[in-house]
Amino acid sequence: MEPFDTAVVLTRVMTSGTVMSIEKADRELPGLERLLARQCGRPHVSLVNSSTAAVHAAVAGQGLGHGDRVDATGLDEPTVAFLAWLGITAGDGPVPFDRVRLTPENAGRLRELAAEATAPALVVDLCDLGFGPAAAVVTADETAWARAERLKIFGAFDLRTMWTQEESNPGLVPGVQFNYRLSPLVAACIRVALNQARASRGGSPRASEATAASGAAR
Amino acid sequence: MITDFPTAPLDPPGPADREADLAALGGPAMIGREVRRTPFPVITKEDVLHMLLSLRQDPAKTVDAFAESYRDYVGAAFALPTASGTASLHMALVGAGVEPGDEVVVPAFTFIATAQAVVAAHAVPVFVDIDPRTYCMDPAAAAAAVTDRTRAVMPVHVHGLPADMPALRRLCDERGLALVEDASHAHSARIGDHTAGSIGDTAGQSLMADKNFPLGGEGGIAFFASAEAHARAVDYLARHGIDYRMAPIAAAFGASQLERLPYYDRVRARNAAVLGDALRQTGLFEPPHVPEGHVHAYNMYRIGLRPERIGLDDLPVHAVKQAVHELLVAEGVPAREWQNTPIPCHLPFRHRDGFGGGYPFSLNPGAVRDHRPEDFPNTLAMLESTLVLCRELRSPVEYERVLRYGEAFAKVAARPDAIRKLAAGGDCPPPHRRAARLG
Ligand SMILES: Cc1ncc(COP(=O)(O)O)c(C=O)c1O
Repeated sequence: MEPFDTAVVLTRVMTSGTVMSIEKADRELPGLERLLARQCGRPHVSLVNSSTAAVHAAVAGQGLGHGDRVDATGLDEPTVAFLAWLGITAGDGPVPFDRVRLTPENAGRLRELAAEATAPALVVDLCDLGFGPAAAVVTADETAWARAERLKIFGAFDLRTMWTQEESNPGLVPGVQFNYRLSPLVAACIRVALNQARASRGGSPRASEATAASGAAR
Repeated sequence: MITDFPTAPLDPPGPADREADLAALGGPAMIGREVRRTPFPVITKEDVLHMLLSLRQDPAKTVDAFAESYRDYVGAAFALPTASGTASLHMALVGAGVEPGDEVVVPAFTFIATAQAVVAAHAVPVFVDIDPRTYCMDPAAAAAAVTDRTRAVMPVHVHGLPADMPALRRLCDERGLALVEDASHAHSARIGDHTAGSIGDTAGQSLMADKNFPLGGEGGIAFFASAEAHARAVDYLARHGIDYRMAPIAAAFGASQLERLPYYDRVRARNAAVLGDALRQTGLFEPPHVPEGHVHAYNMYRIGLRPERIGLDDLPVHAVKQAVHELLVAEGVPAREWQNTPIPCHLPFRHRDGFGGGYPFSLNPGAVRDHRPEDFPNTLAMLESTLVLCRELRSPVEYERVLRYGEAFAKVAARPDAIRKLAAGGDCPPPHRRAARLG
């Protein structure tokens, strides 16, 4: 990871004045969502503030909740404990999600890693990239994505309509709701890291993503 | 370069500004369209430098150093930095000993996160009405809601005014309950020498970037009066595999912001005083009530309407409010409702599905109620008769802008004829009949 580019991107975001995730003018979160959607080959991305938030969003997106069972083969102990806290136990049931843990070493291979995933939701754990807790749920299922988004922002449909409890589709409003929102400054750093990892593997990031300072031009 | 630096300066208001026709009727707006943005937070070169330096540090150290300095500022015994205010409230409840199925008394007027944090703790929120003057939890209503299964009382320091903590402390001591603060609006707010966050047995506080004390994005912090309470929260996270860690980038930004918090507090207090003086002269408008010995942090500034003072008492107060709201927005004052119905009337507390299958409400069916808005008359009366300013008093707002806000309220209050025409003409259901809004 090139420290100069991280410095530039952080300075650029701070200069824009937009550090809040519920700000309409924010471009960092949508930018990272687009990048992950492209690399993972699935259209819908929900960014969250930790890997456990992503696990919660992944299962809630599929309508799994208290009293349900999932196939927990291969899940680590903290994840099983977290699912139990949600009231979801191991047993006969669907494989709820696949998981990719990105590190500075494997970040350039996200596309290949994501291609191996078969479950309806892919949890991309971004914590080990070094910018603190962060993760994403990537899915092809629009309803699952909509449920995940509503879980993370108190039932609001998306960050832009944060302040309206849409009642037109009450089935999507989760019972328990959290603030799992990711911060734009964190998203900005992760975006730089992922683009650089890809570029250093000889991939060709789009011109608009190639450098940390590029956002200034948009 | 995308920048939040203002594009044009604002001039102080002159006599002609107030005498002009209302903007809604074609006159010039008190604050023109091109100068309406209220930037927030203040971001300085110190913040940038601090954040860049933090990238060289162990991330855990950055977060711990921030939490320790803010804990010291608040005067709490123990602190746990978190990813959000909601997470901090969850941890405050767990630290206070709240167990699955317990009842926690919360105000019917707050942000929905207060009540959702109770559900996150697998407990059941029991909603009570607010005091009609402070808009904070009414201690008598809280006392009436206590049952054998109540474990905690969680007042909210609404908009930055500390709740009646002495009365709630007496209640909690008498009934053996924990007192948990939601201090999310109340950075630097005080009762006497005690800062919000250090008054209850535990507390949670949002530090997201739209609060008076902003981190670089999302964040929160839980405070605990005892080592046992702190340990309960820390153990809970480990036992259940929950990751509530604060992002180091957000913390680094907060560390340099903390040094300027006393400055921000003084700017807000001054602006609140300036606006309060202006409002008192309008007749129609009334500034927030602050009980003796309390320091209000003015995260939000809720303005009361008194239509009877300008001969509009024959109209429903909510119709007057809606008309005034429209006229103020046309003048360039970003007044808001900030909520329109009691929290128990929002979908998640009407359906009570919780984590699924009705859990944790199913653990304690005796604690749940099907509430109607009318169950909370003080909350309804407030929602029908008040308007709110949010960021508008905070640094870096210009002094000229605050003066112009005051003039805009005066300009509108001087036109009962225009208010009457709008209020009598339009279709105007009371706020709680519209779809519930989060904020
Ligand atoms: C009173 C109150 N409590 C809790 C919260 C939740 O905080 P956060 O959004 O940081 O999770 C908020 C605000 O946003 C709030 O206003």
